[in-house]
Amino acid sequence: MALFWEFFTFELKFRFKSLSTYVYFLLWLIFSFLCVASESFGPIGSGNGKILLNSAFANTLDNILAGVFGMIVIAAIFGTSILRDFQRDTYQILFTQPISKFAYLGGRWAGSFLTTVFAFSGMMLGTFLGTFAPWADHTRIAPNHLWIYLQPFLSILVIQIFFLGSVFFAVGALSRKIFIVYLQGVALFVIYLIFITVFSATRSLEHFWSGIFDPIGVVLFNGITRYWTVIEKNTLFFSWSPVLFNGVFLYNRLLWIGVGALSLVSVWALFPMSVEALTARSQGRRAAKAKEQEVADALPVRSVVTARLPRIQQAFTRATTFAQYVSLTRLRLRNIFRDLPFWAIVALLIAFGIASGRLAGHVAEQNVWPVTYLMVQAVEGSALLFLFIVAALYAAELLWRERDAHFDGIHDALPMRESTDWLSRLTAIVIVEFILLAVVMLIGIVMQTSAGYYHYEVLQYFKELYLVTFPQVLTFILLALFVQTVVSNKFVGHAIVIGVFILMPILYSFGWENTLYLIGQVPAYTYSDMNGYGHFVPALFWSIAYWLAISAVLGVASIVLARRGAEDSLRARGRQALRLAPRLAPVAIVFALIAAGAGSWYFYNAHVLNEYLDSKARRDIQADYERNFKQYENLLQPKVTAVDAEINIYPDRRSFDGNIRITLQNKTGQPIPQIHLTDPMRSVTNVKFDRAVHLVSSAPRNIYSIYALDQPLAPGETITLTCDIGHQTRGFRDGNELPEFAYNGTFFDSDYTPYIGYNRNLELDDPRRRREEHLPLLEEMAHRGDPAHSVNNIFPLDSDWITYHTVVSTSPDQIAIAPGYLQREWQANGRRFFEYSMGSTHILDFFSYISARYQIRKETYHGQNGDVALEVDYDPAHTYDVDDMLASSRAGLDYYQRVYSPYQFSQYRIFEFPRYRGFAQSFPNTVPYSEAIGFIERVVKPTDIDFTYFATAHELGHQWWAHQLIGADVEGSNMLAESLAEYSALQVMARKYGRDLMHRYLRHELDGYLQGRSGEIRHEPPLALVQREQYVWYQKGGQILYTLADYIGEDKLNLALHNFLMQYRYANANNQVDARDNTSTSAPIDGPYPDTRMLVDAIRAQTPPELQYLVDDGFNRIVLYDNQAISATSQKTPDGKYKVTLEVQARKVQADGSGAETRVPLADYIEIGVFSGKKDEEKPLYLKKEKFTEEHRTFEILVDQAPTLAGIDPYNKLIDRNADDNMIDVTKQ
Amino acid sequence: MALTIRDLSKTYPNGVKALKNLTLSIGNSMFGLVGPNGAGKSSLMRTVATLQDPDSGSITLDGIDVLRQKDEVRRILGYLPQEFGVYPKISALDMLHHLAVMKGMTSSAGRKETVDALLQQTNLWEVRKKALATFSGGMKQRFGIAQALLGNPRLIIVDEPTAGLDPAERNRFLNLLSSLGSDRTVILSTHIVDDVRQLCPRMAIIASGELLLEGAPNDTIAALNGKIWSKVVATDDELRALEKEFHVISTHLVGGQHEVRVYAEASPGNGFRSVDSGLEDVYFLNLSQQSRQQLPN
Repeated sequence: MALFWEFFTFELKFRFKSLSTYVYFLLWLIFSFLCVASESFGPIGSGNGKILLNSAFANTLDNILAGVFGMIVIAAIFGTSILRDFQRDTYQILFTQPISKFAYLGGRWAGSFLTTVFAFSGMMLGTFLGTFAPWADHTRIAPNHLWIYLQPFLSILVIQIFFLGSVFFAVGALSRKIFIVYLQGVALFVIYLIFITVFSATRSLEHFWSGIFDPIGVVLFNGITRYWTVIEKNTLFFSWSPVLFNGVFLYNRLLWIGVGALSLVSVWALFPMSVEALTARSQGRRAAKAKEQEVADALPVRSVVTARLPRIQQAFTRATTFAQYVSLTRLRLRNIFRDLPFWAIVALLIAFGIASGRLAGHVAEQNVWPVTYLMVQAVEGSALLFLFIVAALYAAELLWRERDAHFDGIHDALPMRESTDWLSRLTAIVIVEFILLAVVMLIGIVMQTSAGYYHYEVLQYFKELYLVTFPQVLTFILLALFVQTVVSNKFVGHAIVIGVFILMPILYSFGWENTLYLIGQVPAYTYSDMNGYGHFVPALFWSIAYWLAISAVLGVASIVLARRGAEDSLRARGRQALRLAPRLAPVAIVFALIAAGAGSWYFYNAHVLNEYLDSKARRDIQADYERNFKQYENLLQPKVTAVDAEINIYPDRRSFDGNIRITLQNKTGQPIPQIHLTDPMRSVTNVKFDRAVHLVSSAPRNIYSIYALDQPLAPGETITLTCDIGHQTRGFRDGNELPEFAYNGTFFDSDYTPYIGYNRNLELDDPRRRREEHLPLLEEMAHRGDPAHSVNNIFPLDSDWITYHTVVSTSPDQIAIAPGYLQREWQANGRRFFEYSMGSTHILDFFSYISARYQIRKETYHGQNGDVALEVDYDPAHTYDVDDMLASSRAGLDYYQRVYSPYQFSQYRIFEFPRYRGFAQSFPNTVPYSEAIGFIERVVKPTDIDFTYFATAHELGHQWWAHQLIGADVEGSNMLAESLAEYSALQVMARKYGRDLMHRYLRHELDGYLQGRSGEIRHEPPLALVQREQYVWYQKGGQILYTLADYIGEDKLNLALHNFLMQYRYANANNQVDARDNTSTSAPIDGPYPDTRMLVDAIRAQTPPELQYLVDDGFNRIVLYDNQAISATSQKTPDGKYKVTLEVQARKVQADGSGAETRVPLADYIEIGVFSGKKDEEKPLYLKKEKFTEEHRTFEILVDQAPTLAGIDPYNKLIDRNADDNMIDVTKQ
Repeated sequence: MALTIRDLSKTYPNGVKALKNLTLSIGNSMFGLVGPNGAGKSSLMRTVATLQDPDSGSITLDGIDVLRQKDEVRRILGYLPQEFGVYPKISALDMLHHLAVMKGMTSSAGRKETVDALLQQTNLWEVRKKALATFSGGMKQRFGIAQALLGNPRLIIVDEPTAGLDPAERNRFLNLLSSLGSDRTVILSTHIVDDVRQLCPRMAIIASGELLLEGAPNDTIAALNGKIWSKVVATDDELRALEKEFHVISTHLVGGQHEVRVYAEASPGNGFRSVDSGLEDVYFLNLSQQSRQQLPN
């Protein structure tokens, strides 16, 4: 024991004398300090603005992340503690002493453990100190308690240190190789990172086993907290209870403690405590070598008298220099290729490339064609880290190789130029990277082939890998070469290089977004099948040229400052630099000029031609707009009732111009003296009215203008506004390219037309950003029935229904589209013109302009209410889903016309647009649909979710739910459009795929809802009061309505919807003057638009009394179930049937907006079921809704076949936070 | 061919004065440089081999300014550093071909001829395809000399080439060096004085960065003829007494007793006998004279 103490204290003394221990401590202190002190740093700070920054939840996550990045630190401390004796050869002395294994290993291990725990305890202190930072957001800091720091530290980091430390210790002690000790931390880190990437790409809903087997905790953390609400995040601890979180946390911790203990046992069992054994292997090798030498040395000695050496002509010409360059490069490559690490990297690259390539583009359970951009993204994404690691690693290795091998004496005295030597090092790394990139490309092609996709676009691989990615890697190589030249220690060099690499995204998140100073960065770009690299090319080209030229200057500096000869001092290198400067200075100057030129050109484009706005500046504009003009929000304004526009799109210039004529009518009961205009895109000029006005004020950036009418606009009176609109793309921007304008695939909407009055939708909505701008909390939407807001509809707040006519032109090779029926098409002045009109059909004031080169598919739908012209315009390469879209459109038209009302248009058209934006949007009879979401889907397995079919039906649903019935500008109204479209699409999908398969889709919907509420930044509203919460109006709304249809009957619910629609659709459409001066009969004063009260009433009217609670729960409350199958057994009865005894539990809670839950009593119908069949393809044998009034119930059910599965709410019709435990395997008795 | 070193001084950043105003002229033959560890031999040789710069002084080689025209020197230089390692997993043949290219032998036929000849010469032919890392110390050293001889260098610098070699290896190595012919400048540094006597027409002794003696080994030995006296003493006390009284230049253990060698113009009597002077006596005498000069004042 005394000896143990001796080793233990020695280890501690050694560690605490070493600077690195304190550096680690400080590192974690700063990291955790910033996590609290800065809202732009760390996963919690930069995320949801309501989560406390020092909650146990936040500390747990910070600790887990420290564990991820800390692997290397743990490896460095534990791995080296044993190795030290072997590196310094003290083991020969040590192990001849009578010391016990326990004392030696235990002392070293315990010392390392305590040191590491100390180093990581910086996390606790840093967080604690962060809470006192005066500039921190103190609304997000909880009162300090020791336990909120200690509990996460003990249950995460201390255990990680124990487990990983013991593993690294064992590996270090048993291998005794410095190479392995240093690499194991890095290797585990990389492997884990890639595992996380691949796992999250699958969006698996499996959280139990994946959580338990997660050694580091990222997946575990996500699995456990996935559905935590704000209040839970701010109060809950990661409990070690076997009940909470299904015990996942407990089991995970126990498992890895066990692995740690096992490592300790194995090192204790296997570590040999004798010099002989410890050196046995190397002794064996030494003996073999000695023998070999004996043989070699015993060879006959030749006479040495005078064998005159041949006199060979030496020449030192350019050709020689080149030959030297080639020979050096070849030698260096040979060194790399004959080394294990290179092949290990290639093997890992291939393994991860295959793993991520297999999932290229998969989202949830949707299957897509692995088109090249998805495949490149997948395989390159997994390889990128390797490419950078190789750059940093080999830059150091190649620069230090001669020194490390002690060959520098000979090498440095060779008659070669410093530049030859340096260029060969660079070339060797470049060739290695080229090979790795080729491997990446090959993996991509192989994975495409294995997925049955044979449309190989080698050129696109080449462009992405060699023209876009490689230059960035090259910049990094040059930087690493420079750093390794300047610093005199390889590892310090690595630290600096990695630091630069990590620092860039951190700087970016702190608002330093300028490509010109973010080392080696290029602006964001997106490849699109429709548009290629399109307009991103110049910005990419010039930023790459800029950074490459700068790194080339660094490269020249590296040559000049190269280590050559015995001296390393600055003076010696200075002398060499002076000697080399005259020859290399011109090269440096040329590169400097290129850098200056490229940088200037970039600057001119991004900062002079275009206004440079970083995200903060953009938020400032939004905040100023709100501060200055919110006062006008409720100012009475006339409504838009007709639009006539002439638009000319110039795709090759990514621009458009045109003019618009907007008819405005005063539909209030009072005269209107002023007209206010908002112009967020700076697209409006030359505003004119058809009567005398004068400009009262105009804000900077033309964002808000006020015009006074000389004669106020009387009630019912109309006024016509005409103006020019347009957008000129000038040069390129530093990222933030407008996605609306592309060489092929222009798509912009009414955002570019003047908006009447104050536009609330431009307000900042992130509470964190609002606080930063000193804005008050975001204003809640008006209550239902609010008189001022009820007369406006929720979508375009400034309009009622409009009539619409437009002429749009584009270049002759493209087709231009806008809502409306094509009146005529002609060519003039080398341009192609299209005239569209909606005739007298009313539409929402929501239109778009699209222009692209399209392949067109048309068909006619013959329905009970007449024909509808269906059309899909798509990129010629994207033929995969056109049939699916048409089928969905037909099915939707069938269903919606039958249950809701006739379709108001005689055409329905889908247009593909580039994937710079990833949505589909329903304009009147016109649906722009992103190439990213519907055009490359494939349905192969019966379980693949046909998302294209669903989304198409959803957008078609909006033709009723939005384009026929639109709600008032009050809370809840968004669901009238979105939840009802979602429900409609679910029904259309269920008719094609059957109710059983819908379950799979609804599970993802449920997951989306629960995750959405977990990320809520304000407060979660009930469905009928939803404001801006997409997860409520999409995922929850769809699920609630679908389940309601299941409970009360699809027909009943549809009847309710039909009644609601027919009563309230086209509110305020027939009390106005339209473009053709058709006056309507009723008084031109707006009445209220409908809201969710009317919908709920309509549904209530069709709901039987015993199910009325469902309507209340679904619409007016946040209700969650915790249903669980406890046990299920079956017994064969004498008559060949099976008696199933099923014990289930049902609980119901009501949550408030922050997620605080209270139990509510049950009087609910919940389905119980018994199933049989293959796993995942079970068919129901028995299904019945039972009324639950108490928590536990046991059922005895007789079924005909042998049951395999039974449980409660098997189809997850109810919202259940733990949807996995509803079913249980039936055990036979 | 002559190498002229003038007033060479070098102080390392840690304060060590490696060379102090060293002036030396080396002709067209094999030149031995002896001195104790830390004498500045390696510093001098690295400086001549263009691997480091002095603080002051000049070196010229047949009109080439060695300190400035480094590339010209490197073209005619063959250098074997005191210690050198090799790349793992590269064979002697490949490495020599590579180095031959580096030394300007671009014609592959000529290169092959030279490399093969050198491999034969250094008796590495049989193992030419083996990885250098598997070579024994002697084989590695022979590889070192082979690479230094690539391209028929006119200036050859070999730094402590025999250190760590067994006697047989050492003999073989010295034979090889002596066969190099006489039309070039060869600088051989060593602290084994016998090497120099066997090989070098001229030699220099340096210590603490200073030149103590320069000349032909035989001349310097002849100058000491009759001035070296030897006595065997049994105890340390006797030895101490002798040290006080006489100019002791070296002691050797012979059969457990001290054989003391003393420098004196005439017989110190007292059981001393006259012995033949050797180069080692020259060496130790010069070193002891230097340390005597430095001690008292």
